[in-house]
Amino acid sequence: MLQTTAIDSTPEAPDVVLIRRMADGDEAALAALYDRYAGLVFSVAKRIVGDRSTAEEILQDIFHQAWRTASSFDSSRGSFAGWLLVAARNRAIDRLRRRQGEALDRAVEEKVALAASLETAAAQNLMLSKVRKVLVELPSAQRAALEMAYFEGMTHSEIAERTGEPLGTIKTRLRTALGTLKKAFQS
Amino acid sequence: MNGHPQFDEDLDLLALGTFEAEEKRAPESHVGGCPECSGKLEEARGRLAALALIVPLESPPAAARDRLLRRARAEAARPLGTRPYGIGRWLIPALAAAAVVLAIVSVRLTQQNRELARRLSNLQAVSSRLEEESVRERAVMDLLTAPDTLKITLVSGAARPVPEGKAFYHPQKGLLFYAANLPALPTGRTYQLWLVPTKGNPISAGVFRVDAQGNGEVVLPTLPAGIAAAAFAVTVEPSGGVPQPTGPKVLIGAVT
Repeated sequence: MLQTTAIDSTPEAPDVVLIRRMADGDEAALAALYDRYAGLVFSVAKRIVGDRSTAEEILQDIFHQAWRTASSFDSSRGSFAGWLLVAARNRAIDRLRRRQGEALDRAVEEKVALAASLETAAAQNLMLSKVRKVLVELPSAQRAALEMAYFEGMTHSEIAERTGEPLGTIKTRLRTALGTLKKAFQS
Repeated sequence: MNGHPQFDEDLDLLALGTFEAEEKRAPESHVGGCPECSGKLEEARGRLAALALIVPLESPPAAARDRLLRRARAEAARPLGTRPYGIGRWLIPALAAAAVVLAIVSVRLTQQNRELARRLSNLQAVSSRLEEESVRERAVMDLLTAPDTLKITLVSGAARPVPEGKAFYHPQKGLLFYAANLPALPTGRTYQLWLVPTKGNPISAGVFRVDAQGNGEVVLPTLPAGIAAAAFAVTVEPSGGVPQPTGPKVLIGAVT
């Protein structure tokens, strides 16, 4: 019998509560988490794979997995929102590369520690403004390399080949860009 | 503070996924045994996850939500023992164990692969040698069984045991020669076989040694093709042989 518990499954409940309710089979908790994050997951997948149909498949798969494995999600050791975003990116890149006939060598989603909660629109906007500030300040070559790696899943060598730049230059650009991102989150 | 700052940048790149397979082996291996760096890697993943926020927000199709909830409802309605989300309690440990087993199997398979490659190389060498020997054996049989192969017996006039030789010669297929009862030669001397053509000087068919029983052989020596033979002869020459016979003839046989 499907359980529903109104109080703990309200849209305002924290992720950790909703996940616990989901593990108990509470469909409303799944719906609340979906409403909170589906737009983000879908948008990331769509940005990478380029079409809405595949992006929706990825969205369905990720939330279905969350539903099935809620009982094993250890919220004390990772952020659910972070897990969703990493899962969306990884799966979208896997689809993209499989479509290109490339072999996949991507780890399954692992624990993710977000610097701040993304549970509300306000929290998401705060994080977004921080990320935007970093990206705006990055030299365009660093930003381009970072976006190729992040949204296309390209390796150092592939970026070097795409841009025609030496491999060492690409590695330096990425290390510098990631260093800047790290400093921004530490400040 | 990270106790392993040398891995800091690698952890960022590991989270980003830009390493080639070989590059990521060392940092991955380190993270597997270092809780502190494992935590740093989770933080790096978190920073990169935040990058996803820059994508323009799009709403998924409205029907997607209903599809997901219908699917979840259908699974929730199953008897408890068959509900897939129960799998989650053991799925991750099971996958981790499977990954370890796969890693071990992978290493063993790599070792086996190298060993098999080595064996294959040896077998190819053996096969190549057998192939050469087989070609040679076929050539010998071909010569011996050809109806137009000449058979010549070479004898000496000495008392028994009589040194003798048998030559099998075909102008196109080649020459086989077997000697018996030849005496051992002093150091620095060797037996040399000669093809005496119907026209021109003798042609060396090679030098040979004899064993303790006085047996020796010359098998398919390199000879000009199509030479009509008048006779075969064996002489005693300096080691290594000579271009034209100089020593005493110990065997001689005319083609009849």
